[in-house]
Amino acid sequence: MELLTNPLSLIVLLPGLAGLMLLAVPEHRTKAVRKLALAATLLTLLAALKLYAEFDAAGSMQFQFSLPWLPAYGINYTLGVDGISLLLIMLTALLMPAAVLASFSSIKEGQRAYYICLLFLESAMLGVFAALDLFVFYLFWEGMLIPMYFLIGIWGGPRRVYAALKFFIYTMAGSVLMLVAILWVAAAHHAQAGTWTFSMPALYGGALTAGAQFWLFAAFAFAFAVKVPLFPFHTWLPDAHVEAPTAGSVLLAGVLLKMGIYGYMRLAVPLFPAAAAVFAPWLAALGAFGVIYASLVAWSQKDLKKMVAYSSVAHLGLVMLGIMSFEPAAVSGAVLQLANHGLSTGALFLLVGILYERRHSRMIDDYGGLAKVMPYFSAVLLIVTLSSIGLPGLNGFVGEALILFGSFRVYPWLAGAALAGVVLSAVYMLGMYQQTIFGPLRHEENRLLSDLNAKEWTYLVPLLCLMLLIGLWPAPVLKMVAGPVNNYIALAQPQSTAHALELK
Amino acid sequence: MNAELTAYASNAMSGPLLLAAAAFTCLLLPLFFKALRGTQGIMALSAVLVVLSFIKRAPLTEISCFNGALLLSPAAAYLWAFTFAVLAFIILLSLYRPPAQPDSGGEYYFLLLMAALGLVTLMAAGDLFTAFIALELLSLPLYALAGIRRSKPGLEAAYKYFMLGAFGSAITVMGIALLNATHPDLAFAALMKAGAPEPLALAGFVLIIAGFAFKTALVPFHMWVPDVYEGAPTQISAFMGAAVKAGGVIILWRIFRIFEYGPIRELFWWLAVITVVAANLLALAQTSLKRLLAYSSVAHAGYLAVAFFGGQRGFEAVLYYLPVYAMATIGAFAVVLVLEKGEKGPVIDDLAGLARTHPWLAAAMAAFMFSLAGVPPLAGFFAKFFAFSAAVNSGNTALVAVAVIMSAVSMYYYLRVTVAMYMKPAAAGATCGAPGAAEAVIFTMAAGVILAGVFSKPVLTLAAAAARWF
Repeated sequence: MELLTNPLSLIVLLPGLAGLMLLAVPEHRTKAVRKLALAATLLTLLAALKLYAEFDAAGSMQFQFSLPWLPAYGINYTLGVDGISLLLIMLTALLMPAAVLASFSSIKEGQRAYYICLLFLESAMLGVFAALDLFVFYLFWEGMLIPMYFLIGIWGGPRRVYAALKFFIYTMAGSVLMLVAILWVAAAHHAQAGTWTFSMPALYGGALTAGAQFWLFAAFAFAFAVKVPLFPFHTWLPDAHVEAPTAGSVLLAGVLLKMGIYGYMRLAVPLFPAAAAVFAPWLAALGAFGVIYASLVAWSQKDLKKMVAYSSVAHLGLVMLGIMSFEPAAVSGAVLQLANHGLSTGALFLLVGILYERRHSRMIDDYGGLAKVMPYFSAVLLIVTLSSIGLPGLNGFVGEALILFGSFRVYPWLAGAALAGVVLSAVYMLGMYQQTIFGPLRHEENRLLSDLNAKEWTYLVPLLCLMLLIGLWPAPVLKMVAGPVNNYIALAQPQSTAHALELK
Repeated sequence: MNAELTAYASNAMSGPLLLAAAAFTCLLLPLFFKALRGTQGIMALSAVLVVLSFIKRAPLTEISCFNGALLLSPAAAYLWAFTFAVLAFIILLSLYRPPAQPDSGGEYYFLLLMAALGLVTLMAAGDLFTAFIALELLSLPLYALAGIRRSKPGLEAAYKYFMLGAFGSAITVMGIALLNATHPDLAFAALMKAGAPEPLALAGFVLIIAGFAFKTALVPFHMWVPDVYEGAPTQISAFMGAAVKAGGVIILWRIFRIFEYGPIRELFWWLAVITVVAANLLALAQTSLKRLLAYSSVAHAGYLAVAFFGGQRGFEAVLYYLPVYAMATIGAFAVVLVLEKGEKGPVIDDLAGLARTHPWLAAAMAAFMFSLAGVPPLAGFFAKFFAFSAAVNSGNTALVAVAVIMSAVSMYYYLRVTVAMYMKPAAAGATCGAPGAAEAVIFTMAAGVILAGVFSKPVLTLAAAAARWF
């Protein structure tokens, strides 16, 4: 069975199979359920590390695997990774054990179903990053909705039903038009070449007219903009983030949002380069505007989770600016920033979760003076906050600096505006830190809060180490993504439309 | 006709004949042998199982029987196998909870088997006259079945269904008469060759389409659907949703493919758009589960009409769509059957907390809802994908865009069911009937909608082979 011997296919299937295995474990044996879930995510992480060890940074698509699926439609189950997708796969595999560990004490009801949802979600997320076939990509993209919907809707906060419905319908509405566009692209290829295929590399650079590209790009861009989320399509995000359980928020921010950016880089831009050139300044402008807007909104938040959620919108706006400038430094920085944001925002949500579990409040006003009772927690939060702001020496700085330097050459005004937003992020993040950690201990009940325990250290330490490591020595990551970034920029150049095809 | 074909034809025809014989046996035998009373369901089920065993791989040709009234082809074999399988599951559900009053005789199974007989005849009909007679043979037992409980909502459903259905039949006859004035030969093959119709014939076609749109439940001919689905016994609602719709779809396709372009195409275009939009919007407001499924059935008729525009490839998708849709519908109605206490079936809020009290039942129901909504990796997504892919390929992007946007809207009402089951606390005293045959049906259907998508190749290959014979 090549499905299980190919390392990439194994990574995609492993969590899902473990999820199915969990079904066989009796519901009341919660310890076994948790252990099995943790073991599955750790195994996946090991497999991902092995993938990284065997990955050749100089090569292009690797670990390719193809299995004929629906020959009548030219659909093959095709997987493969380049530097960018590998980076995101590593990020997913790393955040999952943390998400599982963080759920051990916070999820009390329906544990088996919860971990099954998490594991199915992991399979779908990994599948999105590994897919090289449009149909397979769409399948995983949409398949992700069901487990996430249940995670928010069953184990979420008080307004969870509203948030879950909004998340599902918003995302679904965004992606159905992408489905039509996918069908259109495949049909156009069929009309031209006479064969059916949904393979991404085969469809790249297809000679579509500029008019067709415009609408197709718009359909893809809308689907991905909802996911990123790009201002003004971001309104589902604060609701979903606030209501989701900690693990849900971590994965939403850490992985799901990356899929939007990944979609632009893997699909929307290379498939429709001519339209991408038209849309790029507008998307970059929305990104830059999003940085400022979301930072201002985050500044006024009183709820920790909401603030972090809006800071995500700001960070991803900056990433959007980076990838739409088609400039090697900016795009590399943007890809690096995807990983950075996953680490720092994932860690922020984990820390907020730790606070919430102890105090059952996410309001900034309920805290203050935590440095006295939770010194280690305060130290970790400081590092994560500084990483999120982009302090030199930590990972956030490298990404943000590269994006700003690179995009300044292409969009000087937008880069300048975004810089202002980045400064704002320091204002609200440090303000939050000061209000929760420093000052007098205003609330008596906070005196009893316990500091980080061993389990929490276990999942925070790897994240902290990586923040430092990438901050001080980003070269390996940048080297890994350099090839794919250049590919992306090359594919983004509009080709001559000499033999453009007018379809129907 | 050589010996091999004769053998196949007699073998295939013995299926419907056996069905007819079983129907009369169910009706008459218990009158003479008191010991056999109450065993009609078993008799009907075993008859259908025997009939299913008669299904053989058809030779790759079209065998014309009774002067072209019935066409036996791989397509007919595919559709008959589908219908008999649906029938077997409906009978299982009827055994689980008899819909007719306990003192009644075998008329329930008689009517059900006769309706199925009409349906298989309709699917294999070679000309419009046969199609009409088959339609009547299908409809008349269904009117009676809708009201077989003799309760107020049941009688109301039966009355409404009969009045509107009779009107639809009358329109169909009128249309056939108009068409016959210009086309002496009403075989579908002859109509294909006849060329562009004159105005009189065109009017005839429009009336025939309206008549069959009644059975298929396309808007604006859908008015009977919610009331009848709600008032009829749940098993019969499932039968109407899963199988009867297929009969109408087949005839509509036979008419649709006569026209490459022109007013009939436009008529279908508008029927598809109006159906998809109106059904999904109306479904949003429903609180009764059976009515919700009724509107969902109307919406799916609209998606099937969209698939028509994909031509041959679209019809392949239709033939794949029908069993996938049938599985989700039978499953969902089976869940309704397990939960229902009153005449009208549960409302959505009655499902509250089902995930806690009956986790497997809730999981199966969630699978049906997600499949109907078309969320991957369930089979419903694959069905929609194939259908829409064909329609886009033949240049009907706008139509498909409307359909996908409305299927995003439909998410809301399908999700409401899962919200009730998973995210609401259990209602006080929420109980459901004892398990049994119904659970077997539910879990078979759930396995179907979960697996038939990812492993759609075998069914799709069969559907593609069958679609060539229309």
